[in-house]
Amino acid sequence: MTDQIIEENPQNITEAEMVVAIPSYREAGLIAHPTTQAAQGLKRYFADRKYVLINCDNDSDDGTKEAFFGAETDGVPQIYLSTPPGVRGKGNNFHNLFRKVVQLKAKAVVVVDADLKSITPQWIKHLGEPLFNDFGYVAPLYVRHKYDGTITNSIAYPLTRALYGRRVRQPIGGDFGFSGDLARIYLASPSWSEAVRHFGIDIWMTTLAMTNNVPICQAYMGRPKIHKPKDPGSDLGPMFSQVVGTILHLMLQSTGYWMRVKWSRPTAIFGFGLGEVEMPPPVKVNQDKLAEKFSAGFKQQHGLWAKILSESIMNKVDEIEHLPPEQFDFPVQLWAKVLFDYALAYRDKVVEEEELLSSLIPLYFGKTLSFVRKTERMSVQQAEEFIENECMVFEETKPYLLERWDS
Amino acid sequence: MAKILIVDDEEHIRFLYSEELTDEGFDVITADSGEGLLERIENEKPDLVILDIKMVDYNGLDLLQDIRNKYYDLPVILCTAYDTFKEDMKSIAADFYVIKSFDLTELKNKIKKALETSLPKT
Repeated sequence: MTDQIIEENPQNITEAEMVVAIPSYREAGLIAHPTTQAAQGLKRYFADRKYVLINCDNDSDDGTKEAFFGAETDGVPQIYLSTPPGVRGKGNNFHNLFRKVVQLKAKAVVVVDADLKSITPQWIKHLGEPLFNDFGYVAPLYVRHKYDGTITNSIAYPLTRALYGRRVRQPIGGDFGFSGDLARIYLASPSWSEAVRHFGIDIWMTTLAMTNNVPICQAYMGRPKIHKPKDPGSDLGPMFSQVVGTILHLMLQSTGYWMRVKWSRPTAIFGFGLGEVEMPPPVKVNQDKLAEKFSAGFKQQHGLWAKILSESIMNKVDEIEHLPPEQFDFPVQLWAKVLFDYALAYRDKVVEEEELLSSLIPLYFGKTLSFVRKTERMSVQQAEEFIENECMVFEETKPYLLERWDS
Repeated sequence: MAKILIVDDEEHIRFLYSEELTDEGFDVITADSGEGLLERIENEKPDLVILDIKMVDYNGLDLLQDIRNKYYDLPVILCTAYDTFKEDMKSIAADFYVIKSFDLTELKNKIKKALETSLPKT
């Protein structure tokens, strides 16, 4: 990783107790709004503290920096950080941020996404205030549409919950808070991988907070997360591999921790009293595309799956593929075992990492299709309960992982 | 022997739960409202709380928040006659919830699970 940071610090800020950071890459069209809202949040709720807004960017060529500095901030100081030209990755932006946070001797850091449309000044309060009250990591709690965040719902949430025993509903939410002490832990961690330097950063940060026993709470945001959602059937790009690869990599590094975890515990919740809950906008799903991708993957990846999955699990996947389309069902217990088998294959280097992670994608599409079919008539709340029940199945299936991991 | 605090304003529920859980070998204590609940927890140090959501003078979900803010490691099982409370996101701060029933099998299973839960300290 490069150690070079490009910095513009026009107000020459050298110390700040509180930082609000906005990571970005080519967000010139959207970054002004979260910048203005964050500035209002700092002025309104943290007026007695020294604060600064930081944009940590990947040297965007679309005018992101100018849009950040041009946003209305009512005098709140701003710093722009960037990776050198050509160096991309959200995680690289965070590495720069952690170094700056340590330099500034900040006690609390709040991060919000640059494409957020629903942020209010209260988000800064809710993500920041617990950090001055004994909590070291604050995850967001917002209502999302049942088909927004399917990687979270089917992998990141159930898997981290079953492994590390903490119920953090949005472990890759993108908007969160962490203490200056935790920034030091992140910076000193030996586990910076290529995936962590990119989209693996969010799950990496949440998991390290858990395995370092940092006090965690979830902050209720009141409004849904409105950003640029994607059809779960669309191309996943590198995000899937980077998030899942990071989860599997962390499993290797924290085996001694997660093997001792039994069941899970809720976290403290902060920030109620925001009035009526607003419902999120719908996310459309193309079920035909999900079915096609699962079937195409079955044909292309079958040989590889047979190497990765245990025989009984492979047989069950075969059965699913041969179900009539209207009866398609990918049971959650099977899905949990598929993920556990992938974790073992990752550990044992059964195939190259990139090939391994790519081969999981069609199975993920199959699981997503099954989830959509089962929940299409459910309200957002009912789907949420459905996901909670799936998480319980992951926890109940964990002995399968423990047994195979040890043998 | 694990100590369980039952907080419910219905006398017959406290009686039923006390009898059954005592038979299961638990040390059971009860409270008929949320008044002084945090002091009670501080003094009696229960291993688990069974908390009614709808009491005449208290909202169990608000009490749950109070408990979580001070004792976030203390398992709490929410107990209610209706499942509409799940629409309130405050309810996720509970370890488990059960719908009130004269068959306590589910409650006993949840108690067992809550008491078995273990997270590494280091």
